[in-house]
Amino acid sequence: MANLLWLQGGACSGNTMSFLNAEEPSACDLVTDFGVNVLWHPSLGMELGENLQKMLRALVAGELPLDIFVFEGTVVNAPDGSGEWNRFAGRPMKQWVADLAKVANFTVAIGDCATWGGIPATAPNPSESEGLQFLKRQHGGFLGKDYKSKAGLPVINVPGCPAHPDWITQIVVAVATGRGGDLSLDEFQRPKTFFTSFTQTGCTRNMHFAYKVSATEFGQRKGCLFYDLGCRGPMTHSPCNRVLWNRQSSKTRAGMPCLGCTEPEFPFFDLAPGTVFKTQTVMGVPKDMPAGVDKTGYIKLTAAAKAASPRWAEEDIFVV
Amino acid sequence: MTAAVQTLDISPVGRVEGDLDVRVDIQDGVIVNAWTQAELFRGFEVILRDKDPQAGLVVTPRACGICGASHLTCAAWALDTAWKTEVPRNAILARNLGQIVESLQSLPRHHYGLFMIDYTNKNYSKSKYYEEAVKRWSPFTGTNYEIGVTISGRPVEIYALLGGQWPHSSYMVPGGVMCAPTLTDVTRAWSILEYFRRNWIEPVWLGCSMERYEEIKSHDDFMAWIDERPEHANSDLGLYWRMSQDIGADTYGRGYGRYVSWGYLPHEDKYNKPTIDGRNAALIMKSGVYDGKTDSHKLMDQKYTREDTLHAWYDEPGGLHPFDRTTVPTRKNAVDMDRKYSWSTAVRHEQDGRLEAGPLARQMVAGGKHGEAWQHYDPLVLDMFRKLGGASVMLRHFARMHEGIKLYRQAEHALREFRLNDPWYIKPTEKDGRGWGATEAIRGALCHWIEVQGGKIKNYQIIAPTTWNVGPRSADGARGPMEESLIGAPIADPHDPVEVGHVCRSYDSCLVCTVHAHDARTGEELARFRTA
Repeated sequence: MANLLWLQGGACSGNTMSFLNAEEPSACDLVTDFGVNVLWHPSLGMELGENLQKMLRALVAGELPLDIFVFEGTVVNAPDGSGEWNRFAGRPMKQWVADLAKVANFTVAIGDCATWGGIPATAPNPSESEGLQFLKRQHGGFLGKDYKSKAGLPVINVPGCPAHPDWITQIVVAVATGRGGDLSLDEFQRPKTFFTSFTQTGCTRNMHFAYKVSATEFGQRKGCLFYDLGCRGPMTHSPCNRVLWNRQSSKTRAGMPCLGCTEPEFPFFDLAPGTVFKTQTVMGVPKDMPAGVDKTGYIKLTAAAKAASPRWAEEDIFVV
Repeated sequence: MTAAVQTLDISPVGRVEGDLDVRVDIQDGVIVNAWTQAELFRGFEVILRDKDPQAGLVVTPRACGICGASHLTCAAWALDTAWKTEVPRNAILARNLGQIVESLQSLPRHHYGLFMIDYTNKNYSKSKYYEEAVKRWSPFTGTNYEIGVTISGRPVEIYALLGGQWPHSSYMVPGGVMCAPTLTDVTRAWSILEYFRRNWIEPVWLGCSMERYEEIKSHDDFMAWIDERPEHANSDLGLYWRMSQDIGADTYGRGYGRYVSWGYLPHEDKYNKPTIDGRNAALIMKSGVYDGKTDSHKLMDQKYTREDTLHAWYDEPGGLHPFDRTTVPTRKNAVDMDRKYSWSTAVRHEQDGRLEAGPLARQMVAGGKHGEAWQHYDPLVLDMFRKLGGASVMLRHFARMHEGIKLYRQAEHALREFRLNDPWYIKPTEKDGRGWGATEAIRGALCHWIEVQGGKIKNYQIIAPTTWNVGPRSADGARGPMEESLIGAPIADPHDPVEVGHVCRSYDSCLVCTVHAHDARTGEELARFRTA
């Protein structure tokens, strides 16, 4: 039995919607099979039969144990640090977050907004938003860089816009079944089990990447999206092509460039004119290289790839 | 009534963009006044200023995790009209299909996850249907709750085949779509649709075939259908209808009786050169304004849209068309019911005032003879509206569910009409200009206005269905549609006013509502609870 509380700040509910797509386990399974006791969630229809504020205060006072505190959405600080632009249960949401994070055994940030600030924190960040323990790449965030939950872990960051339902449910199951201690986190506090491989790992366009065959525009039946269409698959950490989305596909498989949404900089370049769905280059060489590759290596690699490219690679491969 | 202020929180359900506070005044057991307040501001319009023209394709689906496909649809068509693109028929079909499956997803998810839970409220324990309602619709443990919530994830698997994932793909782009589906994508999508039909729509929701249900054209037909077989009466639809009447959900939640729909699903051969003015003539589901008082229909046009800010936290002149707005948030957002009390503007039609948006509005419009002969026409819900003497909680939610069968047919149409070897995308030339894109999200009229100048966004404005519905009073003092719908609702127990919840949930607003109930004479707070 693990008590779970899920709150939303500056959020779109996309992570909740994603969570409800889960199948193994489903949201219902979490409750019936894994004994997760959802104390409150803004979308899941439990009748409380008691005062929400009373329950929140009991949690804050330590009278009711808070095993897992899930936060979705940004911490809104506007205006002028007061947080009044996002009020919840009678006070700024940020005050609830500060109090609840102190008593939580595990604190989990779901989605980019809660991890790094995401879309709302895009310049000029009108809502003065930040993530729980990061603002973009900057460590600290709302709770400060020294924050640790009662179990001794910093905020567990499950990024993505949205996070994949399995990333969410697996973390919850791990904690609920007493395996929270097995969670190992990377430098951005993401569970390594999901965020060590790349979005490109398992992409169906990998051969086109290897032979430097580019999808030059949308709607094509071949080609890699990295060279022209701004795909960030080679430098983004996520299992999107290992654990498929909605049990079917992934953005890069379907033909949509990866936006790098599990990385702190998302949305990249602050969506400045000329940066959306276009690879940024200097003298024909991408500004952002595949992880760990330098410019000289890239030029050698792509020259060799082009020279070795078989004829079939230039023909349609994802055919009717 | 006890003198002490009692504060209650019950049934926390659906939300999307933040908190909505609803304040109601109760006098002699009836709501006599109401105020709706949106309590979260993120400033998407401010973020989009000076950004890449295509930034809306990335940002706006993230305005709402429930209606992301609908935002993407608007963002893409807005750029198409601004850039004067050509959109191939395959791309129109692929966009429509994405929009449709998002809405199909929302039907069981909202119905079981948010709406029906209230029918298991102990206040209804005297209803003869109560025991069955608890068995089927209790959260997590109800037999049909689990079926419905779990199967709601299936339709958006089709979205993933097109766009890679749901929610939050950006696969619709000016000039078409990013994908080029293959035969296996189409056949897989068919089988997902079939699964949804064979495991939920027919056995659980209808208790009959879709074909039998489609024969229903009038209120009389519907009542005859219920009586025809026990499978109909005992289906989730049959039980919903009978229990709604038993608990009186057909007697309140009326509202203004004036409705708006942008219409949606452009025909694959009629909107290939999209323009703002050419949209109405290209739609399968036509646009419209319906006035129940005069029983008259007319087409809707974006040029009539006005936003009042007298009672909203914006420091801008009121009565502006969205192209003229500047989105200047009020720094100190103090709540003052006589002045400003919401982040939502008060949207109105320049000639017809405040209008209700949503699935009921779409069905009111679908029953009109305005528009063109080939466009979708369905008289059922309008006939019910006339026979039942107006809208109600029951009819509003019925209209939402009724549309599902029609959307299913439109999904089949898209899958049949794809020409797999034809283009999916025609690369456009970026240029400056003004654009407008609209659709109907499951919960109602949604549209985006964009102005591109000097290769970047000069102005981006969004009006969501919730803006229409939960907006505060307009400059002339007229209540917002949801505020108006609350008037006259009977409150059996002022300390647990579940009736308020029904009204709010029947709108499926994208905000969780916190309802504050006050005694109209003393101003004393009686109860406070959360709803959708």
